[in-house]
Amino acid sequence: MGVILEVKNLTKKFSGLTAVNDFSFEVRRGEFTGLIGPNGAGKTTLFNLISGHEKPSSGTIRFDGRDITGMKPHQIVNLGIARTFQLVRSFRFMTLLDNIAVSCLSPRGKKVAKEYGIDEYASSILAAVGLVDKARIPPIILPHGDLRKLQIGKALGTNPQLLLLDEPFSGLSHEEQKGITDLIIKLHDDGVTVFMTGHVLRELMHLVPRVVAMHQGKYITEGPPQEVANNKIVLEAYLGKGSEQLA
Amino acid sequence: MIDSLINFLILGTIQGSIYALLAMGFSLVYGVGGILNQAHGAFYLITCYLFYWCYINLGGFGLIVGIVVGLIVVTVVGGLVYILLVKPLKDSHVGVVIVTFAFAFLIEQVVKVSVDPLYHSMPLLIEGSINVFGVKVLNHYILVVVASLVIVTLITLFINKAKIGKSIRAVAQDAEAASLMGINVDRILAYTVMISAFLAGIAAILYVPIDIVAPHIGWSILINSFAIVVLGGLGSLPGSVLGAFIMSYANAFVNFILFMPEISALIPIVVILFMLILRPRGLFGKKEID
Amino acid sequence: MRIIIKKIAEFPSNFQSYFRDWISTFRAKVTVICLIGLSLVPLLTQNPYFLGIFTTFMIFTIFAASWDFLAGFVGQVSFGQAVFLGVSGYVTAYLIRYLSFPWWLSLVIGSIIAVIFGLIIGIPALRLKGPYLALGTLAMSLIMYQVFLMGSLATMWENAFGTNLFGAEGVSQITPISSDTVVEYFATFLIMSVSLLILTHITKSNVGTIFKAIRDDETGTSASGINTTKYKILAFMISGLFAGVAGGLFAMRFRGVNPGVFQPLYSFYAIIIAAMGGLATISGSAIGALIFVFLGEILRDTQDLSLLIFSIILILFIRFAEHGLLKPTLERIQELWDIVLGR
Ligand SMILES: Nc1ncnc2c1ncn2[C@@H]1O[C@H](COP(=O)(O)OP(=O)(O)OP(=O)(O)O)[C@@H](O)[C@H]1O
Ligand SMILES: [Mg+2]
Repeated sequence: MGVILEVKNLTKKFSGLTAVNDFSFEVRRGEFTGLIGPNGAGKTTLFNLISGHEKPSSGTIRFDGRDITGMKPHQIVNLGIARTFQLVRSFRFMTLLDNIAVSCLSPRGKKVAKEYGIDEYASSILAAVGLVDKARIPPIILPHGDLRKLQIGKALGTNPQLLLLDEPFSGLSHEEQKGITDLIIKLHDDGVTVFMTGHVLRELMHLVPRVVAMHQGKYITEGPPQEVANNKIVLEAYLGKGSEQLA
Repeated sequence: MIDSLINFLILGTIQGSIYALLAMGFSLVYGVGGILNQAHGAFYLITCYLFYWCYINLGGFGLIVGIVVGLIVVTVVGGLVYILLVKPLKDSHVGVVIVTFAFAFLIEQVVKVSVDPLYHSMPLLIEGSINVFGVKVLNHYILVVVASLVIVTLITLFINKAKIGKSIRAVAQDAEAASLMGINVDRILAYTVMISAFLAGIAAILYVPIDIVAPHIGWSILINSFAIVVLGGLGSLPGSVLGAFIMSYANAFVNFILFMPEISALIPIVVILFMLILRPRGLFGKKEID
Repeated sequence: MRIIIKKIAEFPSNFQSYFRDWISTFRAKVTVICLIGLSLVPLLTQNPYFLGIFTTFMIFTIFAASWDFLAGFVGQVSFGQAVFLGVSGYVTAYLIRYLSFPWWLSLVIGSIIAVIFGLIIGIPALRLKGPYLALGTLAMSLIMYQVFLMGSLATMWENAFGTNLFGAEGVSQITPISSDTVVEYFATFLIMSVSLLILTHITKSNVGTIFKAIRDDETGTSASGINTTKYKILAFMISGLFAGVAGGLFAMRFRGVNPGVFQPLYSFYAIIIAAMGGLATISGSAIGALIFVFLGEILRDTQDLSLLIFSIILILFIRFAEHGLLKPTLERIQELWDIVLGR
């Protein structure tokens, strides 16, 4: 189990604000890891840095031993890192099938998809995320829960080794959360390394064996969720933000 | 040689003052509402022709009527353009762009059909000239510089001090937060477009007497405003004032020092292309174009 | 992800079944009927004036479709479509007039040069999004207009090559495709049909899927592992190609070109035609162009007035009828069809 993702001294400054501050951590191949932190901790920014959607002010990111700092988003995807967005994005006027097909047409996705045919492959992904009966409709009329599934489907189309999920549960009902949880577990069992964020600790508690905690852009601690939840700084960070997020 | 140097300085300054008014309004609407108004040149054109029409039909007295009518009408038109055309299409970038483009075209044709498609000129607002170090300077030139200086200052004060100005800044920073604070964002945007139209109107009144009156001039106004704002940084008011003077001196340089008036029309595009490739956020801009 | 791969549905894989599926749709039938109808026009009248109007209509269809492809399918609103029209028009005209190239070769070369301009515009355009792109391309076309109008360049060129290229007159006295207007008509008809076919096919292909994704969400497309830069440039080149085809035909149809073709006016024509037909339809451009050219012909003597009317039409269409005419019309005809067939 080698290290698949290595982040070292990563810093991102916006005018007057350091969203990610000298942050270092590692994810091992096949691991299932969570990233927690209260609102505004810098989780999304960290994801944006890893996926290439923002350029770091300093620090390095290595994937599979290779320095990917400063690469373009599409280059990073084609090395094997796919991500979802906290605010769902979709191709609004295209069918769900085509939404997935776009990822399958990326150089990396295509290598696998070609064997099966793009459309077949895309629809099998739709089936895997539980949307195959809606293959021919556009996302504008989907409920929020389905959009979250679509996000994951789009990421899967690129055949990722490492999946970054930004708040995959946010805005979902209990039922819907369960569906997504099962899906994520299935993917992890299937060999995909999963790294996901959540600002509500409870959601991650029973899912991941290890969490990394972040607060005001800084690394706080990491370990099994139970331990991290009892860490003094983590408690304070969350209490400052209202304790209901902890429960 | 000395003559052309003086021409360069005088006309560069005059045009810079005019461009500053135009670019400020253009930049304001972009900075506050994210709207790149393709009808900005049309605002200029509307005032220009109302002014001209009043002068032709009412004589010397028409100059004053023309100024008043031109400014009032263009301000109202600005508000209407926002409410009737831009606001309903706000979710669609393509829609706003096309509809304001079509509006600019419409005004050009209205002018051609209702007046005529020819070139005209207008008399100076004030006659006479003064002598500065042995050089004759038209009083009108002084008026242009002083008037635009005053207006740029007033607008800056208005945006920074007045109540509406504060709301405008709040909307520019974060429209959603502003509306949560109880600011009527649509009304503020309408005001912003009206201010911008008013500024274009002032520019027209000051500049038309030393420039031409013709239906197509709106386009070069639009392209120049765009180039200046790209140069100074989109949404930055000091940037647009500085950009305006850089552009106008460049223009004057080409005209009066190099004597190549033909290529002066190429300046804006060269500026646009260079800035977009080298420094997309402009000299003063905070954010990159996206 | 071994476990998730299962064959879910059958998709038509070869051309025959693809074609059979297509022809069974209502849209396909209408398309075929329209094409047959157009090919019959010369049987009804051989009046050069009428055929000429139809030829113009077909040229504008190609031109507007090239804009619709870029704006409707890739989301890149260009106000500089006239650049492609003009560049190819000039090259075609110049080759025919001064180098005596056959018309088709001139057209091909003209269009290829327009593709190169697609590349030239495409590269800075990558930094421009939405309205910036519109203004940037508008600036580009104004600059071409100014350059081709330059008197000093005209003299320089004439001294160097002894031919007229720059200057207000442009390149004139071009021989048309054929002195026989029926031949001209059919050549244009063929080129238009093939152009629309190719454009439609592209929008339905895998590349088309990527184009639409860029239109709907560019950041999302890059997160799907697509190099959006590459595809945007490609889109500009495709659009330039067909606008260039229209430009060459335009030059031959009107026996010459002058700097006026670079004016925003022609880009405006493309936009209004596409908007009338309906954005993102490609073939809607045909309906738009039909109305545009015939209405324009009726208002021929009052060009400014007709432009005024067109501006209003464009504003109304964008504001109130974003689907244009094609889709609603097809729906009405289909209802009628169903009633006639007693379904
Ligand atoms: N583009 C940006 N420009 C300026 N500041 C930004 C930008 N993006 C994020 N920030 C700021 O950086 C900080 C971290 O934001 P980020 O979205 O990464 O937090 P988060 O942990 O994902 O929060 P949440 O739980 O709300 O998703 C916040 O204070 C935010 O306002
Ligand atoms: Mg976040």
